[in-house]
Amino acid sequence: MSSKADVWQGTLALMVLKTLQTLGPLHGYGIARRIEQTSGDLLSVNYGTLYPALLKLEQEGYINSEWGQSDNNRKAKYYRLTRAGRKQLAKEAQEWGQATAILARFLAPGVEQS
Amino acid sequence: MRQLRAWFLRLGGFFSKKRSDREFAQEMESHLQMHIDDNLRSGMTPGEARRNALIKLGGVAQAEEKYRERRGIPALETFAQDLRFAVRMLLKNPGFTFVAILILAMGIGANTAMFSVVHAVLLKPLAYSEPDRIVTLATFWRADAHQSQVSGPDYHDWHDQSDAFESMASYNHQDTAVTVGTGSGATAEYAHAAAVTAEFFNVFAISPAAGREFSADELKPGSAGAAILSYTFAARHFGEAGDALGKPLHIAGKNLAIVGVMPLGFRFPEKTDVWIPVDAQEMGSSLRSAHNYKVVGRLRTGVTLEQAQAQMNAIGARIERKYPDSNSGLSVAVTRLRDQMVGDYRLTLYMMLAAVGVVLLIACANLANMLLAKAVGRAREIAIRAAVGASRIRIVRQLITESVVLALLAGGLGVALAFWGSRALVALAPADVPRLAEAGIDGRVLFFALGVSLAASLLFGLAPAMQVMRVDLNMALKQSAQRTGGGSLADHMRQALVVAEIALSVILVAGAGLLIKSFVALQNVSLGFQIEHVLVVETSVPSSDLESARRASRFYRDLLPRLRAIPGVLSAGATGAPPGDTRSDGGYYIDHLPATFNVSAPNAVYSVVAPDTFATVGIPLRAGRDFNEGDTYEAPFVAVINEALARQAFPNQDPIGHSIYCGLDSMNPMKIVGIVGNIRQYGPARDPSPEIYMPNEQHPQPATDLTLLMRTSMQPGTLSPAVREKIRELSPEVPVKFTTMEVLTSENIAVPRFRTLLLGIFAALAVCLALAGVYGVMSYVVGQRVNEIGLRMALGASQGDVLRLVLRQTVLMTGLGITVGLAGAAAVTQLLTSLLFGVKATDPGTYAAVVALLVLAALAASYIPARRAMRVDPMVALRYE
Repeated sequence: MSSKADVWQGTLALMVLKTLQTLGPLHGYGIARRIEQTSGDLLSVNYGTLYPALLKLEQEGYINSEWGQSDNNRKAKYYRLTRAGRKQLAKEAQEWGQATAILARFLAPGVEQS
Repeated sequence: MRQLRAWFLRLGGFFSKKRSDREFAQEMESHLQMHIDDNLRSGMTPGEARRNALIKLGGVAQAEEKYRERRGIPALETFAQDLRFAVRMLLKNPGFTFVAILILAMGIGANTAMFSVVHAVLLKPLAYSEPDRIVTLATFWRADAHQSQVSGPDYHDWHDQSDAFESMASYNHQDTAVTVGTGSGATAEYAHAAAVTAEFFNVFAISPAAGREFSADELKPGSAGAAILSYTFAARHFGEAGDALGKPLHIAGKNLAIVGVMPLGFRFPEKTDVWIPVDAQEMGSSLRSAHNYKVVGRLRTGVTLEQAQAQMNAIGARIERKYPDSNSGLSVAVTRLRDQMVGDYRLTLYMMLAAVGVVLLIACANLANMLLAKAVGRAREIAIRAAVGASRIRIVRQLITESVVLALLAGGLGVALAFWGSRALVALAPADVPRLAEAGIDGRVLFFALGVSLAASLLFGLAPAMQVMRVDLNMALKQSAQRTGGGSLADHMRQALVVAEIALSVILVAGAGLLIKSFVALQNVSLGFQIEHVLVVETSVPSSDLESARRASRFYRDLLPRLRAIPGVLSAGATGAPPGDTRSDGGYYIDHLPATFNVSAPNAVYSVVAPDTFATVGIPLRAGRDFNEGDTYEAPFVAVINEALARQAFPNQDPIGHSIYCGLDSMNPMKIVGIVGNIRQYGPARDPSPEIYMPNEQHPQPATDLTLLMRTSMQPGTLSPAVREKIRELSPEVPVKFTTMEVLTSENIAVPRFRTLLLGIFAALAVCLALAGVYGVMSYVVGQRVNEIGLRMALGASQGDVLRLVLRQTVLMTGLGITVGLAGAAAVTQLLTSLLFGVKATDPGTYAAVVALLVLAALAASYIPARRAMRVDPMVALRYE
């Protein structure tokens, strides 16, 4: 349908946590939009897949949720980062940084720019 | 941690599905609305805005499904689904379900009840501290590998020379007269008393709940002695255990002070009420050939049974070399206490457990058959489910869930049955099975029941599941529901199951038949004495030395004429051990004593009897005379021998006038004055032994506890009050215990009766189940072949032809089952050999009867289906298609 890359496995949770850290409490729709915008519209989020991921994070205790009012007076479920979530985010972000750095170094010499 | 938390939440999610479904819908709705709002703001038309938002959201149903999977636990949900479906299927077929559960519950209940008994008697650890370290030590006779009690000097050597034991003690025990307290209110009663050595309580690592153990002084020969009571005995007489301390107790002709009370539950050996110090003097000086004591020991920590046995072997060999006269051929046997207690019952109980397991197997085969028939009926339903996408595994899982539900329901009912069955078993079992009273339904028994239920569900659930695995979808869908046969595999499976049922039944029935035949043979053995109308009264006159023992003689001399005077008493006598029991035996010598005693002297049972005893119990006098009032302590010593001894010691000679020696209490020569008929002293299963009868007054010390025997003209029990009164008049110090010869002799065969009855019941159950199996299969076969039968009849087959058609199959299945069963029975009944009496394990009569029984039963079971086949109306059958 489009040439945009789908969000790959395992990174969605990290993006959600980062989004909540940056923007504070937010509803699912907002999170989805924010992820798309941040990626510079390079990523396409199938908004539906977000909710199971949110549920998983909540079950693991990294975020919690409560119902509230959105800017234009819609009832929406707001997700908020917990203390454990903050720690988890720091840990995962660091791991990602490491992983990408290693990969970058790995690929650098043989890279053929085309 | 996080994982665990998530799992708990998911488990919670499983149970709060509805609420959470609604919440998810609301969240989706709000998401959609916000998206549409945004789209509208960016200038889309309402329709376009909605369409775009929906696309972007993706498949809501998919998201919802994923969300659900994440929320709950999918496997659990499938299981719950299967469970609901299984319950629905079972409820849809209440008749089937009821019968299936009933059959299985009986199987599981019988197994659980039997296991509760096996567990209590054989498996449960003894209720002592570290029971595996407690062992018994016995004299081992190499010649015939039997074990016996231990002589005092041998015990002392074992105790002093071994170091494998932390503690070792010897003891002897008997029912004896005990008088609690003093004064006019005190009456004698029977109590079980054990005389023990110093370390006895250490062996069990137990100390008194109140008071103390015996002091070193109290254990010394010639001391004042002391007594320790069991908790129950103390509570019965003194209310509180502590109140017993310091009170006097009259036992064995001595007044002892009560110094301790053991904790509730400790009553070793058997059901001991009173422990007293063993008579050290008697024990130390007695002969090595007098085996009067039992020995227990506690293994040192880390010492194995084998190590202890090795050490005792060495000690035994040393003693053997040192005292060849008394100890040649003897060694020591070390056995765990539990194994020793259980002894003879192990084989019987395990045999019963195996038998009841076979009954369950047959029940499972039956159920498998029923489910198989049902699975074939359901082939269409299953095919449709497979066609719309259910995987085979999923369908099999469904079927197995049904089996498990069925088995668990049956297991629940089975446990309820086992509550009752366990109690029934305890009531049926011989009274002296150790620890039997502890049998009941506890955690471990419940666990066993659960295990058995699940195993059973697998057993009977597998056949239909296998059947499903190979159902041909196309065929099943094409065929009408009626005609969907399981194909030849299902038919074969069904018939194989019935063949197995019959084979297993043959084994059980053959075993039961052999035991029944043995039991009948046992009951028909003539014991050599009269059983009916004999009142038996155990008495015990307290005595401690020769003087008091002679007072006991006078007591019996005074008592017997008074008993004979009671209206209804035809004749009265007294004996040291009632017929069918023995208290003492040993070697004997004719005419003169050898220079040295040796263990190879011929053996005889020693009995002390009062005059008139032979006539009272109908032992015939073959020659010479009975004892009479003149055979007193002062008169020349005399003896009466039985025919077995006469034959053994006096071939072609008249024994009367010869003298005989035996070591009952002295080595005085006794002149043989009479010969009497044999009795079976060791019960019906063993031949009569040689026996020496001696007048009680000439052997006062071994004759202080006599059993009174009275032949009566009425029900013997009705005379008890009069007898009790006569004894009380003469001496309130003498406790009495009433029974009858009939009861005593039936106790002798209580064990064979128990196993015969049980195996008989199990075999009957097995046959009934097998019959149900034959009936089920034949009904099914006839139902399947209605068309064919109708066609045959239309083409001119007679009813007889149809009958033959049906019966041929029955005969085939039964014949095959019986053949297999007979082969199995021939192997299995070999294990019974030691339990059989008067019949061989290969008894052709029994096997012929088994075959006849099963053939007849199978024919009877197929009678109804066969009759239905014969009445098939060709027109109806043909139109049916």
